[in-house]
This record gives sequence, structure tokens and C-alpha cells, in this order.
Amino acid sequence: MSIEIQHVTKIFGDFAALKDVSLTVPAGELVALLGPSGSGKTTLLRIIAGLEVPDQGTVLFDSQDATARSARDRRVGFVFQHYALFRHMTVFENVAFGLRVKPRHERPAAAEIATRVRELLTLVQLERLAERYPSQLSGGQRQRVALARALAVQPKILLLDEPFGALDAKVRQELRRWLRRLHDEIGITSVFVTHDQDEALEVADRVVILHEGCVEQEGSPEQVYEHPATPFVYRFLGNVNLFHGRVEGSQVHLGEFSMEAPAGMGQAATPAVAYARPHLLDIDHQPPSGRPHFQATIAHINAAGAVVKIELTTGSGAIVNVEMPHERYRHLKLRKGIHVFVSVKDMKLFTQAHSTLGGGI
Amino acid sequence: MRKPHVAEPTAVRWGVMAVALVFLILFLVVPLAAVFTEAFRKGVGVYLAALREPDALAAIRLTLLTAVITVPLNLVFGVVAAWAIAKFEFPGKQLLITLIDLPFSVSPVVAGLIYVLLFGRQGWFGPWLTAHHIKMVFAVPGIVLATMFVTCPFVARELIPLMQAQGTDDEEAARVLGASGWQIFWRVTLPNITWGLLYGVILCNARAMGEFGAVSVVSGHIRGQTNTIPLHVEILYNEYHAAAAFAVASLLALLALITLAAKTVVERKARQSLKGFVHEY
Amino acid sequence: MSAIRGRRHRVIPGFGLTLGVTLLYLSLIVLIPLSATFLKASTAGWSACWHTVTEPRALASYRLSFGAAFIGAAVNAIMGLVVAWVLVRYQFPGRRIIDALVDLPFALPTAVAGITLTTVLSVHGWIGRYLEPLGITAAFSPLGVVIALIFIGLPFVVRTVQPVLQALDPELEEAAASLGAGRWQTFARVIIPELWPALLTGFALAFARAIGEYGSVVFISGNMPMRTEITPLLIITKLEQYDYAGATAIGVFMLLVSFALLLVINLLQWWSGKRHA
Repeated sequence: MSIEIQHVTKIFGDFAALKDVSLTVPAGELVALLGPSGSGKTTLLRIIAGLEVPDQGTVLFDSQDATARSARDRRVGFVFQHYALFRHMTVFENVAFGLRVKPRHERPAAAEIATRVRELLTLVQLERLAERYPSQLSGGQRQRVALARALAVQPKILLLDEPFGALDAKVRQELRRWLRRLHDEIGITSVFVTHDQDEALEVADRVVILHEGCVEQEGSPEQVYEHPATPFVYRFLGNVNLFHGRVEGSQVHLGEFSMEAPAGMGQAATPAVAYARPHLLDIDHQPPSGRPHFQATIAHINAAGAVVKIELTTGSGAIVNVEMPHERYRHLKLRKGIHVFVSVKDMKLFTQAHSTLGGGI
Repeated sequence: MRKPHVAEPTAVRWGVMAVALVFLILFLVVPLAAVFTEAFRKGVGVYLAALREPDALAAIRLTLLTAVITVPLNLVFGVVAAWAIAKFEFPGKQLLITLIDLPFSVSPVVAGLIYVLLFGRQGWFGPWLTAHHIKMVFAVPGIVLATMFVTCPFVARELIPLMQAQGTDDEEAARVLGASGWQIFWRVTLPNITWGLLYGVILCNARAMGEFGAVSVVSGHIRGQTNTIPLHVEILYNEYHAAAAFAVASLLALLALITLAAKTVVERKARQSLKGFVHEY
Repeated sequence: MSAIRGRRHRVIPGFGLTLGVTLLYLSLIVLIPLSATFLKASTAGWSACWHTVTEPRALASYRLSFGAAFIGAAVNAIMGLVVAWVLVRYQFPGRRIIDALVDLPFALPTAVAGITLTTVLSVHGWIGRYLEPLGITAAFSPLGVVIALIFIGLPFVVRTVQPVLQALDPELEEAAASLGAGRWQTFARVIIPELWPALLTGFALAFARAIGEYGSVVFISGNMPMRTEITPLLIITKLEQYDYAGATAIGVFMLLVSFALLLVINLLQWWSGKRHA
């Protein structure tokens, strides 16, 4: 089932949680709503579920208006951030709940309910824990019970609010991959909310980035990572080096260095910000030709990890982060305190109106 | 909660403890012991005779009747009010909570008075009631009404903080899974509040059976007819039947002890039932 | 394209029903009877009311009721703090039982408390017999009223201070100690300021309860007009003399005092809630 959000606005008191948001989730996709806290992502999810009603705008399921439909009638599966498992019920009873509260004429027979619940518990690999109570489960197990419970009523849409938020790092990694596989198996339209960009980029087919109640950008993980539409998206998706400066004529002056302005920048002097991810900067002992570069001193080196992380200080005292493979690091024989040249392989330039005029260099 | 690793000197600690214990013994233990001692002062025979006397039995019956009417009504009111207050946001909520607490801050004598002014011979409905030969004040209905007034906050004020602390996630989860309002209440909410509810009922019952001031004003003190246990105690005491008065009073003291014991048990259970709601971040 | 919805939709059902029933029940049991009392007072005429409320016998009863309530609540503020402190901070055998027993004044019907305190404090009573040689008469005197009001108000202070003391971050005291504060300095400058709102709230609750208290006081006070007659008893006396207007006037005065105290208590709780937010 596809979901369409059209011009949705939601205001709590004097706080606008969502401002005229429109969005489409194609059937069968796994979509991440990504944003910092207060960006409106959870509100949007709850509006899709019918747990909040928008002040303006409509929600369509398969092109049918569902805005007025109650949470009870929407047939969506919802996994709460803290799971909201019923503590006085066993795992089995929790999963069976949605089937047992169906009106008598729709309710499956007890034996059928038992079979369905067993199947779901097998799917989430908890068949042995059916008689346990939620308090006797680990965080990851509770999460899977919550998922099984949501799936029991055979929803057309699955919504997950910060599904891995309350788990520790290792369990989180496992559950992410598991959720991805599960989605590929059952193919149900799924939307999950997260504030963790790695999670969104790794798991989702599409990522929707929200900021202060507006959609900043949506697209595949690769699209949003490689072609961030706004400075916010650039900053939000991973570490970044920031250079403040201004465009003057055909040149961009960025404090430490200057470079050719991309075409179409306009002639008037405009303040500009340039972003460069740490792996798009390089270090050398000689000034490289053909690339914009500047001098800096190595302040700190962290070689523990998949890449070597180097922190440098520029002449004006600004801090720049660079990441490079171990081979290159060993080849250059870098040490703390030496002077080097930092060159820019690629960077993204935004003028003040945060239009995305600057491309790669 | 962990206690700080800094503490008073031992002498101070013992001193403070001694002051507290002497105070509590004088003010709580001595009176409690005195009730039972006085009750049996003239022997078990007198004790039992005081309880078997027809007026005493009538008082016990009336007290039970009052409790049987008021407690269930206030139970329903408490649950309904707590549901409205804890599960929804609406303007004027704080005012409503204050209104529910209002009977606690009204003197029991004034609580009785307001019903006399409403239903008494001189009251608003007095002439109409007299014309229809209905007796409210100085009769059982007045006693029940005054008791309802005095005890109506008990269940509600136990449940409101408990249900507010539990939040609405469970109810929303049940709703999304397709449950109806009744199904949510009976299957999800009620199991979560059982212990708090029980505690509220116990307190409400203790007060309903033991209320003196309000009932005293509306009862008319007709022996065998409009005397509750506390009023019967008063009459016996004022007529210098001290042993009998304490014998009947010991029933109420026993009720108080049961209430305290139940409170201790229920509080522990309630704390456990809230535990799952404290999210681990 | 986008419609503005007027009525707020609620996810959990039952709002209208539960709020409606709550308001109906409250109106029938509490609000209408209370308003009727005020109406009754106004039909009798405010000047007549004022006359009753300020007659010497009434004034004497206020002095006793308010004075004894104030002293009782003040004693409770101090002793309640001590008891709460001992219950929260110290481990000793029987602590749980004592903790449970603190609620006895809530649970024990006031009439039982009244006759028991009177018996214990009378000349031949368990405690009274030791007071008599000292020239102290507790029963049938204002002192008896104060003692009964201490009994009735004790749980209020303990139960408001106890949770705050329990929730007090131990690091506060450890920080004070590490900064060189002595135990007494820590207590006076760190702990007491934290407990202040709770103490005041407990005091106000005990005071409010004590002013209206009837059952536990009426046996021990002796009930002599102008000397040991409390205000609630004055209302009952007037009712028994069929002086409904007089009883109403004093009843309304007591209600106004209760409302004022309720307002103060709410403000205090709001204040302490804000401090612990």
C-alpha cells in the first residue's frame, strides 16, 4: 500500500511541528524519516498511524483519503519507541492481542490464533520465549515482540518509531540488518523514524530528511549522501569541514585559500560556505598542483580504526579533519607537529540563500 | 536511591533517632495500645457483650450499608475521573483536579452542614421533601450523602498520579491493534492500575466506615436507627460506658490496622507495577 | 485542498463520557451543595452574617481553633522532618512497621482517636498521671486540643517531606562535604533549602486539616464556650439550637478559609514542583 502525505501542518500550542509537508512513500518500500529531535519526524509518523490528526492537509493510503479514519480502522502496524508491550501479558498474549480484540465475526478461532502467533514468533526468532513476560526479556527481544505484535493483524503498512533507539550499539547493528532482511521477505510498506544517519543510510530504500518541520531532501541513501541539497543535509549526514568565505567575481575566497568559482555564481560579492567531508581532503608534503590547497599543522592522529583520522590546525587557528587510508598514512610518514599541505579533492559550495549552485570542483 | 557517603556523627544520629522514636511512641503507639487495653479492661465478657448489644449491631449494620453504597460509587467516579484527567489534555484540567480534592479541605462538620442546609426542614428542598414525606436529613440518605462527599476524592487521587505516570503508550498501542474503548480499559488499563485502585478503595472504605464529624451533623443520633459505629462509640463514651465504648472502638482500630497493613502491601505492589514504565535510556 | 478540522480528534476513546460523568458527579455531590450554602448565607443577609461571624464567642473559638492548629502544625513541621529524616536515612529494626504506623492518624477514625487521647491524657491515664504532678492539665484544656491536632496532622508533614528527601541527590551532600562544609553546614545550607517547599506544604496541609478537625478534638477539649470551644463545635451547637442562619454564617466563613488555604497549598505545590522539575 502506498502512502501520500499532502500539505500536512501540525501545531502544538505555539510550536509548529510540521509545516506544509508533502511526501510520497511508494508501495513496498522501506523509508527512513531522518532528522534531529524536534524536526517533526515522530509527529509525521504518528499522523500516518492516526495517533495524531493534522491541523491541515491529508493522508492518502493507495490514493484513498484516510485522514478521517481512526487509528483503529487504519490497519497499520505501529512499533512504539519504548515498545509499549503489555506487561501483564506473556509474549504470546501480547502478539495475540490484536487478533483477540477483533469483532466476533472477524475474530479467528483460538486454534488459528495460536498458529498465527507461533508463525510470527518463529519469524522473529522468539518461539521459545512465548510464555515469558516482557520484564523477563532483553531490549532486543522486546523490540522483536513489539514487531511481531504489530505484524499479527496483517497490516498493510508498518510504522516504527526510533526502532533501535533504546538498544545498545551491538544489538542495534544486528537488528538493523535483521529488519532489512525481514522487510525484503514480507515486502510490506514500512516507514521508520530515526535520528541516526548511519541507520537511515544503511537500512532504508529511501531517506527523507526533516528539519524544523520541513522536508529538506528525499531520495535514495546514495543521492542524499552524494548530493546533499542543503547545508543542513550536508552537516547532518556525517562529519564535515566547514569553510566560511565569500564569492567575489570569478573567485571564491575561503579564508585559508581561494579557488575558481563554479559557473553561474553571479558577479556580486556574496557570503558563501563550503563543505568538505574529511575523506575528500588530502594531505601532502609538497603543495599539489591543480588543486586548491592550504598549509596546516598536524595536531592529533588517531590511527585506530578502518581509516586514519587526522586533526590539523590552520594558520588562522581553525581545525580541519582529514581521513585517509592506512597505506597512504604509512607512505606519508606523518607525525604530530609537522607542517603539511591540505588539498581539496571535492567540496560543496553554498551561497547564503543555501541554493545548491556550487558543484564539485 | 543510594544514600550519601557522608553522615552525621554517631551521637547525633542516636540522638535524632531517639527523639523521633519517643515522639512516635507517645503519639502513635501509646494511643493504639490504649484502645485495646481499655476495650478489655473489664474482661472479655464485657467486651463481647458490648458488641452483641442490639444498638451496637444496628450501628454496625448501618456502617456496612453506608460503605456498601458509597465505596462502589466513589470507585466508579475515581476511575472515570482518572481516565479523563490522565489520558487526555484539556484546558482547566488543573482546576478539575483541585475540585476533586476540595472535600479534603472542607471541615467534616461543614460537609454535614451543607446537606442539612440542602435537605433539612429549613433547607432548599426541605418543604418539598416534607410535603412528599421523604426524610433525608436525620435519616440514612443524609448519612450516605455526607459520607459520599467526604470520601469522593480517595480513589481518584490514588489513580490520577499513577495513570499519569503510566502515560498513554499502552492505550495507543491497543488502539492501533484495533481494540475498542472497553477492550482497552478492561484488558490493558485495568490490569495496570489494579493495585493503586485497591489501595484507593481500602482508604475510601476506612474513611467511609470511620467518618464522624459529617455524619454526626446529619444523623440525628437516633439509637438503633441512624447511629453508625463512630456515633455509637460517642454515645457510649458520653454515658460513661468507657469499656463498652472502647470495645466498639476497637473494631474501628482493627479496621485501621488492616488498612495500614494493606497499604504497605499494596504500595510495594504498586511500585512494582510502575517499574516497567520507567524507560531505560 | 486542505481542510481545517474544527473538532479535535482524540485517539483514546471515552473523553466526552468520562469528563461528563466526572463533572456531573462532582456537581451533584460537591459543587451544588457548596453553592447552595453560599446562597443560603446571602439570603440571610451579609450584615447579619458578619454580625454572627464576629460575635465574641465566635472570635474566641477562632483564637482556639487557629491558634492550636498553628502550634500543632508548627510542632509537626519540626517533628515531621525529624521522623522523615530518621525513616529515610537510618536503618534500624522495625523501620518498616514505624513507617506504616505513621499513617495511623489517617486510618484511625477520629472519634476513636478522640476518646483514646482523652483517656490517655486524663488525670489517671497512662500519660496524664505523669503530667499532673508537674501541674500540667492536658485533658479538657487548650493543651489537649493542641495535642489532638498534632496527632491528626503528623502524617501530612512526614508524607510530603519523605519523598523529597528520598529523591535528594546524594551527590549534593557529597559535593558540600568535599568543598569542606561540616555536617551541620551541609544540613542548614544544602538540605533545608531543598526541603523548604515540601516542609511548607506539609505545614499548610496539617494546618488546614487541623482547623476543620472535629472528632479527635471534641472529646478532649472540654467544650467550654469562650475557653475550649473549637469553631466546628460552635457550628454544631448552633445547629442544635436551630440557629441555622448562625451555623451557615460560620460555616461559610470556614469554607472561605478552607478555599484560601487550598489556594495557598496549590501555589506551594506548584512552587515545589517547579523547583524539582
